[in-house]
Amino acid sequence: MCTGSPSSNGSQPEETNATTEQQPQPEQEATEQPLRTPTHAIVGAAKAEEILAEYGSNLKLLECNSQVSELLTIIRDKNTTRSDFKFYADRLIRLVIEESLNQLPYTDCDVETPTGAIYEGLKYRSGNCGVSIIRSGEAMEQGLRDCCRSIRIGKILVESDANTHEARVVYARFPDDIGSRQVLLMYPIMSTGNTVLQAVNVLREHGVPEKCIILSNLFCTPVAARTVVNAFPQLKILTSELHPVAPNHFGQKYFGTD
Amino acid sequence: MSSITFLCSKSNGSNNHSDVQKGKPTSAFTSASASVAVVAAAASGLLTIAIPPQQQSKVKAAAAVAKTNGHIDDRSDVTEPLYVDLGNGNVGGGDLNCCPASPTTVPTKTALESPMRRAGRRQRTTSIGNQTTTANPSECIIRANNRTIYTAGRPPWYNCAGQQVEPFVIGICGGSASGKTTVAEKIIESLDVPWVTLLSMDCFYKILNEKQHEQALINEYNFDHPDAFDIELLIDVLTKLKEGRKVEVPVYNFVTHGRETQTKTMYGANVIIFEGILTFHSPEVLKLLDMKIFVDTDPDIRLARRLKRDISQRGRELRGVLKQYLNMVKPSYANYIAPTMAHADIIVPRGGENKVAIHLIVQHVHTQLQLRGFKLRETLANSYKDQPMPHSLHLLDPTPQIKGLHTFIRCRNTSRDEFIFYSKRLIRLVIEYALSLFPFKLTTVETPQGVLYEGKRMSSRKICGVSILRAGETMEQAVCDVCKDIRIGKILIQTNLKTGEPELYYLRLPKDIKDYKVILMDATVATGAAAMMAIRVLLDHDVPEDNIILASLLMAEIGVHSIAYAFPKVKIVTSALDPEINSKFYVIPGIGNFGDRYFGTEPSDDY
Repeated sequence: MCTGSPSSNGSQPEETNATTEQQPQPEQEATEQPLRTPTHAIVGAAKAEEILAEYGSNLKLLECNSQVSELLTIIRDKNTTRSDFKFYADRLIRLVIEESLNQLPYTDCDVETPTGAIYEGLKYRSGNCGVSIIRSGEAMEQGLRDCCRSIRIGKILVESDANTHEARVVYARFPDDIGSRQVLLMYPIMSTGNTVLQAVNVLREHGVPEKCIILSNLFCTPVAARTVVNAFPQLKILTSELHPVAPNHFGQKYFGTD
Repeated sequence: MSSITFLCSKSNGSNNHSDVQKGKPTSAFTSASASVAVVAAAASGLLTIAIPPQQQSKVKAAAAVAKTNGHIDDRSDVTEPLYVDLGNGNVGGGDLNCCPASPTTVPTKTALESPMRRAGRRQRTTSIGNQTTTANPSECIIRANNRTIYTAGRPPWYNCAGQQVEPFVIGICGGSASGKTTVAEKIIESLDVPWVTLLSMDCFYKILNEKQHEQALINEYNFDHPDAFDIELLIDVLTKLKEGRKVEVPVYNFVTHGRETQTKTMYGANVIIFEGILTFHSPEVLKLLDMKIFVDTDPDIRLARRLKRDISQRGRELRGVLKQYLNMVKPSYANYIAPTMAHADIIVPRGGENKVAIHLIVQHVHTQLQLRGFKLRETLANSYKDQPMPHSLHLLDPTPQIKGLHTFIRCRNTSRDEFIFYSKRLIRLVIEYALSLFPFKLTTVETPQGVLYEGKRMSSRKICGVSILRAGETMEQAVCDVCKDIRIGKILIQTNLKTGEPELYYLRLPKDIKDYKVILMDATVATGAAAMMAIRVLLDHDVPEDNIILASLLMAEIGVHSIAYAFPKVKIVTSALDPEINSKFYVIPGIGNFGDRYFGTEPSDDY
């Protein structure tokens, strides 16, 4: 039911927030140091075809129409107000969640419509659940709730050691039967992928098969994508953008702790 | 689209000038009605207008109204005077003084017999007041006697595959009071072709100088002479109409003997009927006519009609009428009109009473139209089958998620709670997708990470939503959820149970809506009639056609075709496309009545 070393329930997550905030920092160093210089001008995002070739079919990109581009632009813009940031981030999250749900298994299901005709539809299997990685993953919980009203949501807190930069799980709490469920793992920003690796490991320890995990992500760096895909080839990943620079301010700005 | 456009202020010019002399009110009516254009419900879709035959004559008499080219005339608040009582207006066969000041939509008798119309409308659980009102005096929509009349219309002068089709032009010639208009009307009635334009030669009288004006006042100006007409302008207008282009037809004022500053806007149509006393006089005009009909009525009868009309209805003196007839009308007929009989393809004796002749003409026109690829109304409903879907349709990717949501909301056993929840999710996806169809521009922003980011922003922040009540309202929340502080307009369209015609009941739009990109929302689109009316309303408010996106959860293929056919630039967004519509106009397999299910107002056994 629960794992992670110091998991005494309840107030634990809040207390550890302070540590999680520092979590992105080691990751930033990994990717951003060469990019810090403003002369490095514009860095383009990767295209869908390249991704399929490089990372295989389990990494999926949200269809990048103009509307999605605008959301990404607003979220990345440093002049965006916090109110706008949250509003547009929530919209993007909703889209990513909707798309993630597409990855869930379903069966055919014919229903009779009020007109008496038969509609050949489909039905999702019950027994799914969400798992958010504290803290920024929690930003995506509401989006999931908006789509699946009564879905069970587990949480994982992954802490990064300030000195060794190693990520380690300090708290995890899941539904009992998580092993038999499809898991929607929520984590918006991936810089190195270390955090996600740890989270997936915990899930596997709880008996969740790799292929039953869908990772919902907003921003992903090529480095992180490669790391995760190599480590878990059967894991399904859905992200909205593959870009060398991750907007690491996401958590702070979303929760207003910047 | 079952409508017929009339154009022409048939005012029988050779007489009207003398009414003026007597200061009788008839000419005032003529000029007032002639100076404005009436165009009717283009927004009608396939099941449009079905007016009981006894109302038809009234509709034909509809005159008056509002707008030319976006300009809103102050007469637009006139509602009742639209209809002239025909009770004593019939003279012989031709209601010559009650012809429409154009273009107005006239349903044909046969409209009632089309298969779709015979099927009963679905039962509404709404109560609609009998007293309908103009939404706002300044709106360019007129409501009267169960009819909504729009001041501009866009007839589908394209075939169902979007190809332009050359109209069939019929010329009708005949002496004064010979019954040309009656013949034209009978033809229109029997034709059963969606759009017919009636153009009268009277629109093309020359502007008189002062001396001629004086003459006209004492019955000495010859209005029956070929020189009285501006043939060049006539040829120009007729040529354009034949090309399917929009034209501005002059409005002749018989008081001033000049042209009104306002013109009537006319569109090309499937069939154009051009009638007048000297229709066959100009060789150039003759070349434009595909079929030439001469109405040959006995001169005694024509004189009798003229006398009766001019004396009993226009209060003129016997002497004046006779003087004009003997000095000008009769010689002109002998010199210019009668000889042109040689050009006619068919001569119709006794005018409109001649049913055999009308029947033959109609049959010939039908054959000709079919050769040109026109669809008649009966076949229009099925004509879209196997046609490729129009480019303006944007269907959401049919992902398992969308199909799953549809499964929920389509199932008849879904509880309302779930129905609302899942339809809201689906609506959100539709709206998000619709937004992506607006124009975007590239932009570069600075990021907190110190790098520049190349992204996109919407070109214009001016977006507004317009919902078609009631089902469209369910989509408002989603629009507000994705666009901060968005303005929402509302349009209430209900189907008139008597006529089967969609009608506009309520309208509130943002003031400067013409500057906005508009997301028009309706939950389901079956035949597209209501959506087309709403689009028409938006266009009447000067919203450019390509600024409109019609967003809907479910559409029937036929509705999509109809809308795309009439408004090719309107983007159509939907999450599912169903193939059919049943006899109650529900989409099959469909959702049922979306509004009723969402708001919980289902009648106990509606289906």
